[in-house]
Amino acid sequence: MNLSLMSLEISVVVLGIVVLLADLWMPAERKRMLGYAAAAALGLLFVNTFVGQCSCNSDGTTAGGMFIQDAFSGFFKRFFLLAAALVLVLAVEFSDRIAAGVSEYYSLIIFALAGMLFAASANDFTMLFVSIELITITFYVLTIFTRGKVTSLEAGVKYLILGALSSAFMIYGIALVWGTTGKFNFNELAAVSSQFAENKLFLFGVLFILVGLGFKIAAFPFQMWTPDVYQGAPTPTAAFLAVGSKAAGFVLLLRFLFVAIPSVTAHWDKLLIIVSAITILYGNLCAIPQRNLKRLLGYSSIAHAGYLLLGVAALTGAGQAAVLYYLGGYLFTTLAAFAVIAIAMRHLDSEDIGGLAGLHQRSPLLAATLTIAMVSLAGIPPLAGFFGKFLLLKAVIEQGATNHGYYCLAFTALVGVVISLYYYFGVVRAIYFSKETPDAPPITMSLPAKLVIVICLAGMFYLGLFPSKMLNLASEATFALGLIAR
Amino acid sequence: MTHVGLEHYLIVSALLFALGLLGVITRRNLLVMYMSLELMLNSANLALVSFSRFNDNLNGQVMVFFIITVAAAEVAVGLALIVALYRKRQSAHVEDLTSMKY
Repeated sequence: MNLSLMSLEISVVVLGIVVLLADLWMPAERKRMLGYAAAAALGLLFVNTFVGQCSCNSDGTTAGGMFIQDAFSGFFKRFFLLAAALVLVLAVEFSDRIAAGVSEYYSLIIFALAGMLFAASANDFTMLFVSIELITITFYVLTIFTRGKVTSLEAGVKYLILGALSSAFMIYGIALVWGTTGKFNFNELAAVSSQFAENKLFLFGVLFILVGLGFKIAAFPFQMWTPDVYQGAPTPTAAFLAVGSKAAGFVLLLRFLFVAIPSVTAHWDKLLIIVSAITILYGNLCAIPQRNLKRLLGYSSIAHAGYLLLGVAALTGAGQAAVLYYLGGYLFTTLAAFAVIAIAMRHLDSEDIGGLAGLHQRSPLLAATLTIAMVSLAGIPPLAGFFGKFLLLKAVIEQGATNHGYYCLAFTALVGVVISLYYYFGVVRAIYFSKETPDAPPITMSLPAKLVIVICLAGMFYLGLFPSKMLNLASEATFALGLIAR
Repeated sequence: MTHVGLEHYLIVSALLFALGLLGVITRRNLLVMYMSLELMLNSANLALVSFSRFNDNLNGQVMVFFIITVAAAEVAVGLALIVALYRKRQSAHVEDLTSMKY
């Protein structure tokens, strides 16, 4: 077993344990520093993936083919590291609202990150199952961390029941797929999967596994938990759920569909088109009447799962690269929105949109950040969200010649974008054009929080204005995944 | 006595899975729902073990160990969560989980 390929994962797990142990000797007033130190450590690991010797730049498999390291998993590992580092800073900002166990909150975020890193490298059903459960079970705890609030507990229980249900489906699917083919490894399965394309038991198994993955990415019809959990969970948890957990679902979905069962996936374009279209419409239509900002972002996250599925449904390398690019933009945009919620709404009981009134007087920077985040989520140039949506639509329309359903799908996506303009601009209106502007004091921010905001802003503009570098990274990553043969 | 083959085991496992699903859908007590979920996980274990026995491939039984371990962790967290909710609301019924609506 070649442990050096796993050195990144091992260092992240060790960091989590160190945070947990350091808590024992740390005086209560210095615990904030622990969170910053952990965020800085993850930030260093992230920078190290570009400039130094990192296991995520190498290629190879280990643990008997269960763990694969290629450009695709390298791309997602960078993504997860950056997301977790930013979320940890948010967690420190949020820490005064957590009654007990702040250090456990930090270390659980790091353990969830470890699960995501393993998910990025999963090349085997065992690894897929264990990594996805490591993420999900950690998130159950992260969701109920503000135990004093009933909403937090309710969100946790809903997430628990539906999450356990989806993992039961997934594990039964794995049992059926393994029972018919006798393969756990994705590459071995790919070699034989075409022989089983007519086998009902095998296809049921694949469908059940897709249920489990669909739950993670919040695709229709497995999206019911999303708004409640986003609303009830502590803000940093919701942010990490929106970015990290969704991306982990997509990395597993892409690898499962295009590495393990490419010959089956090639016939399932209709299913993917329908799921993607309904997810887009459902998310956007249900977001319209929302008054709670976190709940609104929950519905918007469902809609974005639909947009991301456009790239999966296209069944081409261009589509997959567009998914990766879009996720990159989504990271900065969503984290910016949740950062503003965590900082600007700290004195409010709920995250009602009305609470944003007068934000532009209290803190022009936060108001501008939230506005830009909403504009980017809506997909207006020159921000990251626009170019990502453009790439996804382009990938779908290019496939229109093979199946006219793709044209309908592209049209549905455009309708979804138009609907979404309405509620995203409702948020912007609440910031700048509210009638009553309460006499609230200006908002002060700590330096690391300002840094997070600036990083998110820079990311949104950079990806929107200079997309070529990121696009190269994304194409390289999808090249490692191997194009689908049609 | 007829011979008991793979299909019999699979039918039992599918029945267990369906019973568990029915329990999750129809029952309104969180603890009973959670028990039904465990039933669903164990139906998958039964399927894996029987496939493993009849196909002479031990990998499936190794997977079962992973599932049992993960299920144990999930139960520990899940029961703690349900207890925390019960302390706050004095109820473990899903009908009472209505504080979040738009």
